[in-house]
Amino acid sequence: MSKLTKTLRHAILAGACLAGAVIGAQAQETNPGPEAYRSALEGKRVVMVPMTMGFDLAQGWNHFIGEEVKQFGGIWETRDPNWSVDAGAQAITDLISSGEKPDVLIVQTPDLNSYSRLFKRAQEAGIFVIQLDNPSNYASDVFAGSDWKRLGELETQAVIDHCGEGSSKKIAVIQGDQVNASSLDQWAGVQAVLERNPGWTVAGTADSNWDATTARNAAATILQQHPDVCGIVDFWDATAQGTASAIRDAGLKDKIFPATTGSGQCICDKHVEDGTFGAIVTSELPRQSQDVVAAIKILLQSGIKPGESKNYLYTHEIARTKKDVAPGTCWSQAEIEAAAKK
Amino acid sequence: MTQTRGGRPRASLPQHTEPARMTLREKLTRLRYNKVPDHLLGEILSKSWADNLVPFAFLLVVVAAFGLLLPGFFAPSSLLDTTRQLGEFLIVVLGLTVVIIGGGIDLSVGSIFALAAFATLAVIYIAEGPVWLALLAALGAGALFGALNGFLVGYLRLRAFLTTLVTLIIGRSLYDILITTWGARIQSSPVFNDTFDHIGMGAVWGQPISALIALAFALVAHLVMSRSRIGWHFTAVGGARRSAFNVGINVRRTIFLTYVISGAACGLAGFLFAARLSGVGPGTGLGLELAALTAAVVGGNSLGGGRGSIAKGLMGAVVVLLITNGLIRMGAGTGTSQLIVGLLLAAAIVLDVRWLKNRHKVLSEVYVAPLHHAMQPAQSALPGSGTAYALNDALASAEPIALGTVEGPEDVILDADDNLYAGTRHGQIVRWFAPDYTRSEVFAHIGGFPLGLAMGRDGEIVSCVGAMGLYGVAKDGDVRELSTETQRSLFSVVDDARLRDPNDCDIGPDGRIWFTDSTTRYDAHDWALDSIESRPTGRLLVHDPKTGRTRTVLKNLRYANGVCLSHDGQSLLIAESWACSVHRYWIAGPKEGRLETVIRDMPGYPDNINRASDGTYWMAWLGMRTPSFDMALRHPAMRKRMTRNLPQDDWLFPNINTGGVVKFDETGAIVATLGDLGGAAHPMVTSMREHKGWLYIGGILNNRIGRIRLPDADPEWTSWNSYWGDRA
Repeated sequence: MSKLTKTLRHAILAGACLAGAVIGAQAQETNPGPEAYRSALEGKRVVMVPMTMGFDLAQGWNHFIGEEVKQFGGIWETRDPNWSVDAGAQAITDLISSGEKPDVLIVQTPDLNSYSRLFKRAQEAGIFVIQLDNPSNYASDVFAGSDWKRLGELETQAVIDHCGEGSSKKIAVIQGDQVNASSLDQWAGVQAVLERNPGWTVAGTADSNWDATTARNAAATILQQHPDVCGIVDFWDATAQGTASAIRDAGLKDKIFPATTGSGQCICDKHVEDGTFGAIVTSELPRQSQDVVAAIKILLQSGIKPGESKNYLYTHEIARTKKDVAPGTCWSQAEIEAAAKK
Repeated sequence: MTQTRGGRPRASLPQHTEPARMTLREKLTRLRYNKVPDHLLGEILSKSWADNLVPFAFLLVVVAAFGLLLPGFFAPSSLLDTTRQLGEFLIVVLGLTVVIIGGGIDLSVGSIFALAAFATLAVIYIAEGPVWLALLAALGAGALFGALNGFLVGYLRLRAFLTTLVTLIIGRSLYDILITTWGARIQSSPVFNDTFDHIGMGAVWGQPISALIALAFALVAHLVMSRSRIGWHFTAVGGARRSAFNVGINVRRTIFLTYVISGAACGLAGFLFAARLSGVGPGTGLGLELAALTAAVVGGNSLGGGRGSIAKGLMGAVVVLLITNGLIRMGAGTGTSQLIVGLLLAAAIVLDVRWLKNRHKVLSEVYVAPLHHAMQPAQSALPGSGTAYALNDALASAEPIALGTVEGPEDVILDADDNLYAGTRHGQIVRWFAPDYTRSEVFAHIGGFPLGLAMGRDGEIVSCVGAMGLYGVAKDGDVRELSTETQRSLFSVVDDARLRDPNDCDIGPDGRIWFTDSTTRYDAHDWALDSIESRPTGRLLVHDPKTGRTRTVLKNLRYANGVCLSHDGQSLLIAESWACSVHRYWIAGPKEGRLETVIRDMPGYPDNINRASDGTYWMAWLGMRTPSFDMALRHPAMRKRMTRNLPQDDWLFPNINTGGVVKFDETGAIVATLGDLGGAAHPMVTSMREHKGWLYIGGILNNRIGRIRLPDADPEWTSWNSYWGDRA
């Protein structure tokens, strides 16, 4: 090209650099935070795959986490496996291999092993994996949930404290299933407390498979065999309602102390107030959701790759009995749904 | 339009010149009806795989719909993952398909699946065994449970639905107990098995291993079901259990085997599932039976049994998997997927029942696809009209043979001892003994409807047996099959390797048998429909007894009928019935392979042609042309409406109530005619045979054979001598 054109190009380039420097200098005078925040988070896709969308925990997460994700300009999606492990595996597999891969995957794992390989694949594909509520054999980028063993200990302790020395020293346990970490860990917690309190035994135990009707039937059977049980530990508040019905049907409502775990919903507090539940140990769902949101924001800005770190965010646990229930400390699924409709 | 093989020059059928006055409208009609292949629709619907068209169309719709709704559906990685999930489901569906085809149902597939998955993981993670042992455990568990089902349903004859429902519950409970006891141990086992992981997550040649295994299984299952004896037994037992029993099939064992196969299939699927997820829980396999049943029925397998195929199961599995998978990927809410699959099942069952009931109706409405023909005007055959074709009453005084005792002697032939043979509609060849032909016996029983007859050098009678093929009967009455198929043409939808309507035959000097197959679109009992359609699907074939092979020599004849070797043995005279023509096909000499028309535009429809003693030929007329039918041939739309809207008794057919015999020479000039104007003895004639000064008359609708004296004929002349006499 001719010398003139060359010179012209050089001049334009120099001018542009100067202009850029000036503008850059001007920009540096303002706060870089919002821009960095926005550029890291906007347009990022976050997908949640719970065990099913149709229960209170998932609705709560959908509201609390989803709201924040949308607020920073991200794309929020959910999938509904409807309690089927295979459907959940399909959903996750499809997300990993789809054209619009998520940037963050939030999964409530149903058991210890089934999704382990999928998490590994997801991380290799560049997706951050946050496990929610139930731990598994695979430690992914973040685990946000409860220390279930501790919850089990708190529940059992609550029963022992209530029953006292003069009781039969027998408790019954309605577990979840034998492959879910929350159930297995709570059981370990129960065993740990019983070890520290010799004389106390588990009179009968059964699996509810997370179904309230099964819990009710199992509890009724156990009560028939051991009517002198002084307390029942049920691992989940949804199934605990079935257990409580069985206690009521057996006419033993104030003689047996049901303890369970919950997420801090107002409706459960009501149950505690009216005596349906004796004690409830909650991992507060709104706080748990906030932990997850913070984790998302940090992971997406940090520049680290999926699989490079393993982080654990345990949720604050609170044991509540009738004496401790206070208004304004709970969250309501009904309110969330009403707000969503508006 | 004719085909010859081996490099011979192609002969083409001389086209009839069209009448000069055809209106534009008629020209367009001709174009529409002769060029547009309407007949393909009917032929496709009558194929055995026509049932697959509906589920296949539905599959295409589903694939297209989800391809549009889901971005990146057709991306290779996405398809790969879809097929990986398909593998296990497909195997279960195919096992269930086999049971359904066998007339049963297996509701316990979900439980077997779960038990097999558990067995696999128990071997790998608890017993720390090798992968092949895990596979054996899974298959064994599945087959054992299937054997339990099979024993209860097959041998103890309990009802399939309730029994498998009960075994579903038993299996599920067993599985729940096992999971409660061992589940935690499996999940927290520290064992790593790379082969096992590779089977679940790896790929070979770019395809997931489970998909490859599933496809191999599908292929084997298809071959077994469609081409092996045991597969036919399954279909027979499912379709008509009592008939299968009567035929000698071991019904109980067959049913037992279907359940074992289903169990083993679930075992294999359970193994693959365990390899993929490496974990089982209380929900494993729950509801699988419903999805698998939906897949089998949506694919078109009839729940009543006997009607179904592996291909249908495959299509149904793909449809159901795509829908459930697609709905999950679209984020559909709880229960939506099950709702839609349930609706699908209901719709599929309704469609299945309706299609089964109405398929024959649809087929009969759609099958007849008439063509446009503009026949040239014919000379009159009325007696006293002075034309060469004018008929007379010569046959009215024929001597009846076997009056009232024979039914449908389409063709007649005589042997060296003057005994008379004819085929009857009972599938027999009957012999009447010379000289008075009052005593008779059944010479041979072949079946079908023996039509055209010819006699070989050794006295063997060769017969074209309608609906069966070409058969030979030796002098001692021993029947042997000569040919029942020819080569199949590449582009024909109808399987034209079959011989549906063998009509007439003749034997060439070298012993090869030339015979005609009248139409490829209709069976022997439907032959009249071919006249309404008037489609040229008739053929000339040749069978070589030395090699046993048959091949098609000429095609596209409008109802190929009589065949006669010319006196000099160099050519064949062929009758084309609905075209009212006689053609000559050269089989030797310089014009070999060429086809010429000898007589055209006759006033009657020709049937069989045979030699006469004076160097000329006899031809039978099975019916007479009428102005009304000739006009109907120019209005194909009217014929189509007629077949759809009117009962068969009211249709306009060619007139086959009257006919006659015509004698013609080598040039095609008409020498004589014989008729029966009153119609009492021989109203229509399908064949005639000259023998020692007599002419023997046959008729497919007649109750007698007739014979008339030919005063000017050679009293020593026989057909056999004419063919074989001087060439001893």
